Amino acid sequence: MAHADEAAIFNKDEAKVNWHDKALWFVRQKRDKSAHNVQGWETLRDLASAIKANVLSNLDDYLIQFEENAKKNGVTVHWAADAEEHNKIVHSILQKTNVKKVVKSKSMLTEECHLNPYLEANGIEVVDTDLGERIVQLAEEPPSHIVLPAIHKTKEEVDVLFQEHLGTKPSNGDPQYLTNEARKHLRDKFLKADAAITGVNFAVAETGGFVVCTNEGNADMGAHLAKVHIACMGMEKLIPQEKHLGVFLRLLARSATGQPITTYSSHFNKPAKGTEMHIVIVDNGRTEQLSREDFRASLHCIRCGACMNTCPIYRRSGGHSYKATIPGPIGSILSPGKDLTKHSSLPFASTLCGSCSDVCPVKINIHEQLYKWRQIITKDVPQPVVKKTTLKMAGRVLASSKMYGIAGKSARFMLKHMPKFIIYSKLNAWGKARDLPEVKNSNFDEWYKNRQKK
Amino acid sequence: MSRESILKAVKQNKPTSLPLPEIDLNVFAEDKDLVKTFIGNVEFVGGRAVELDDIKNLDIEIKKLYPNASKIVSCTKASGLGSISISESTDPHGLEAIDLAIIHGELAVAENGAVWIAENDVTLRVLPFITNDLVLIVNKKDIHLHMHSAFEAISKRDRTFGVFISGPSKTADIEQCLVIGAQGAVSLTVIIL
Repeated sequence: MAHADEAAIFNKDEAKVNWHDKALWFVRQKRDKSAHNVQGWETLRDLASAIKANVLSNLDDYLIQFEENAKKNGVTVHWAADAEEHNKIVHSILQKTNVKKVVKSKSMLTEECHLNPYLEANGIEVVDTDLGERIVQLAEEPPSHIVLPAIHKTKEEVDVLFQEHLGTKPSNGDPQYLTNEARKHLRDKFLKADAAITGVNFAVAETGGFVVCTNEGNADMGAHLAKVHIACMGMEKLIPQEKHLGVFLRLLARSATGQPITTYSSHFNKPAKGTEMHIVIVDNGRTEQLSREDFRASLHCIRCGACMNTCPIYRRSGGHSYKATIPGPIGSILSPGKDLTKHSSLPFASTLCGSCSDVCPVKINIHEQLYKWRQIITKDVPQPVVKKTTLKMAGRVLASSKMYGIAGKSARFMLKHMPKFIIYSKLNAWGKARDLPEVKNSNFDEWYKNRQKK
Repeated sequence: MSRESILKAVKQNKPTSLPLPEIDLNVFAEDKDLVKTFIGNVEFVGGRAVELDDIKNLDIEIKKLYPNASKIVSCTKASGLGSISISESTDPHGLEAIDLAIIHGELAVAENGAVWIAENDVTLRVLPFITNDLVLIVNKKDIHLHMHSAFEAISKRDRTFGVFISGPSKTADIEQCLVIGAQGAVSLTVIIL
């Protein structure tokens, strides 16, 4: 199904859509407030973008340097070409260390690789420990936002879900009570887990260390209690030096939620005594994206979600409508690189307003890339007949000022004189849920000519 | 292992080398009251900040703030309230019932209310997360303006594990309602000496 059709499903519950829209816009406003508090914010964005560009242009050297330093620190480094190899590597580590129970903190990469079902099929219990992730895991759904995974769920829905799975009492969706019950439930899981899987926010080539950011403390609860810690990272997570963390940690949380920094920014370098630490470096289409000059900057992404919160389409269509691990504007430029046919409608899920590019902390030209994907898709992927013929006609009309004048005149005539039930009939998508503008007697061209005469 | 094939593909597909930018710290220089800014940010992120004139009053202050805490781990000589002692060989799972941990932070950051603690300061990495409540102590002179300055200050450390902690553990995953006390410590007090 195309994005527009999926979005129509989300839009059936109008109250929920309105809430979703407002809640995310509120997060965007918090981001603005927080960013404006920082002297040199734009310099930070420029630096972050330039550092990432430097990383991509020397990525092989940085990867080798990172591996060498991580190994010196006593960390085992693995390389995975694709999702399948990633899952196999993780499973083999768990097998070797005889692990049956795993706690996992938020990692979009393991979502991308569909690690959970793979491990579960191999008889391993995987518990997502970020509250939002746990909610969607219990609901057997994917996250709908990369920072706010359960933003599409109402508190009442969470209440019912927890009653069923955690045995909680009905509370009309009391967030304090439900969070506290989840805390107890997850504490038990942390204490019993044999291994912890985390994502990686930043990996430092110079030191071989990596940083994991959370607000809940779940990554640390898992990693410091279990005897095995596996950190899974996309290869673009590298930064050259530790001092560059100063730039990125100042940008990340402010762009994501408006916090000045996440509650916990944990710097892992060496495993604790008596424990194992593994890092899995994953390609899964990233080297291919690196080869595409027009789209390579999408690999700058630090997964803050700011482009989603600001996007008028995302806010009113919900993350699930994108049918991709990373939804929203950034997902719409990443996903076509993985499967152009499957994700061909995503670059069209945009007004090209450019707000995503304006808020992006690493200055990815998201809206320009969306436009560029459209050029490729209309050439490579068969388009609906209606769209094709309409656009062909529009092309002809717009190319001739005479035809354009006639078309404008007749449109104004029809808007003025046609009965409402025809104007707002199913055939006119522009009349759906909105009032069309009142028709004036002349257009700009006529008005201008009259004015010159006087 | 796909190491070689990945590196080969990267080498082939990467663009021509772009320079690594220099960070000009003058852009971020601000003449701010560091203690005041730090306290404001600790409170903004849901923590409590207490300025203490005399280190002798530390325990009285902590007792006042956490009157019911009985299982206490103190990682600093400044406080004598510790009732449970831990060492590197203590099983971290055993810390589950700890009421309060008292830790001396190495430095703090004014711009975001964060306190840096390293493995050496806590003996067991899980302590500041698993404890129910957390007290962090920082010296006024160790408060830095921003993260750039903080990273400069910790650049010579022995790198094992370290963490910036800004406020108590929190979540807003249920309908964006902020709830303090997710999986980590449910409260954080920063005592400034």
